[in-house]
Amino acid sequence: MRGVTRALMAPVWRTLPWRTLGAAGGVGLLLAATARVSGTGGEPDRWSTLTLLRAAALAGALGLAFLLDDPARHTTAAVPARRPVRQALRAALVAPFAALWWAAALCLAPAAARPPVGDITLEAAVACVLAPACAAAVVRLTDRARPGRAVAAALLAAAVLAPLLLPDRWALFAGTDDVRWEAAHDRWAVLLAGAVTLWATCAPDPLRRRLRSRLRLRRRPPSRSARAGSA
Amino acid sequence: MTPTVSATGLSLRYGSVRALDDVSLGLTPGVTGLLGPNGAGKTTLLRVLATAVPADRGAFTVLGHDPGSARGRQEVRRRLGYLPQTPGFHPDFTAFEFVDYVAILKELTDRAARHREVRRVLDEVDLSDVRGRRIKKLSGGMRQRVALAAALVGDPGFLVLDEPTVGLDPEQRIRFRELIAGAGEGRTVLLSTHQTEDVAMLCHRVLVMACGRIRFDGTPAELTERAAGRVWSSTGRDPGAKAGWRTGTGSFRNVGDPPPGADLLEPTLEDGYLLTLDGAGHTEVAA
Repeated sequence: MRGVTRALMAPVWRTLPWRTLGAAGGVGLLLAATARVSGTGGEPDRWSTLTLLRAAALAGALGLAFLLDDPARHTTAAVPARRPVRQALRAALVAPFAALWWAAALCLAPAAARPPVGDITLEAAVACVLAPACAAAVVRLTDRARPGRAVAAALLAAAVLAPLLLPDRWALFAGTDDVRWEAAHDRWAVLLAGAVTLWATCAPDPLRRRLRSRLRLRRRPPSRSARAGSA
Repeated sequence: MTPTVSATGLSLRYGSVRALDDVSLGLTPGVTGLLGPNGAGKTTLLRVLATAVPADRGAFTVLGHDPGSARGRQEVRRRLGYLPQTPGFHPDFTAFEFVDYVAILKELTDRAARHREVRRVLDEVDLSDVRGRRIKKLSGGMRQRVALAAALVGDPGFLVLDEPTVGLDPEQRIRFRELIAGAGEGRTVLLSTHQTEDVAMLCHRVLVMACGRIRFDGTPAELTERAAGRVWSSTGRDPGAKAGWRTGTGSFRNVGDPPPGADLLEPTLEDGYLLTLDGAGHTEVAA
């Protein structure tokens, strides 16, 4: 398997959605840089810096929602190279760039107003793992070759609705001065574990259709139109 | 002859739709045609046999391996070539790069040997001249041949082809038939198609599916024979016919139980197919 992984690196690199990732990363950096000019009276504002860094993380996550888009999915549906290996390779190729990008975003935020780096990085990690994990779930449960758009839309909706709808005791988007900050980050850690578990569960090709039956999900019979438009 | 691929009791539901209903079959080397109307379950059967989707119930083996376990499925996939109904590609790859990519996914890791194999299959599907051209610049027929080359790479023992001749012009279709006939020498090939001509010209055996079940399993000659004495010509549409359509000469060709004294015609595979479907699925005849 190691030989296959090594040989796959170059072609998989070319199949990654670099343009989308680049655009999302660019928007993220722009948002992080905006924090420098967002303060009042020349003083950077802690709340807006935190919000802009969260928005930057969301932008990055929206780009990563397209990580598993694979127009050749159906042509390569029955090959011996395992899906988890292929997905892990995609993630591994992107991960160093994602880390550098996030470091740059943190550096762009004004130091005086920067939230605790570990905590805000945890929030960013949740967003950036949850996006491809949801894409992996869509790949596992449907015939979609390009889950990115649907996942990005769902993620964006969740990011907008969660601060409005989550009850106080489940609050995630606390401010740095908020007494709930620490408890919120315990919940972020649980979410990260949940996202990793979701991805690990959904990555393998199913041997049986048990999960889908349990979830009562209905997969439409394969149709030409559902899988068209690949090349 | 011992079957190389055998299945028993394969069933699969999509919600309330029973896509496969207790399908059992045994395939031997050579090209086996799979005929049936839209929604008959052909693609689902092919996807199950290609291990692209698991069945709800039932079991099957491919070349002695049972894909019911992760290891067994790996072994099956190592011996399998699959051309889906609508193959997708990475459009910026060249034909060579794409087939090479699939070859890596099929665990051909030795670069020199793999490149030799890729050149061989591209040559086999007559794409050597355009192997350096990007897929997005290739015609539909050429893309279909790239997909066939991807299925053939690694010399699989079992080839699953889902309507490979759809959308091809007559010349391309003839070329494709030649390729499939060649691929069927020494291999087990399961070919799903709507074209009875493809089956008549390529297949040593034919399966007819409707409503998720196998309705016929025999040779093309036996399917044709089903319509012997049950095809007739008339000047108007015969209301007693199971199916009837106007021919180019202005007369009507009918299949079913002919009236006494009817002008009987030589049956074709298509006539046998339509009679087999009678009552089991729509016949899709423009009467």
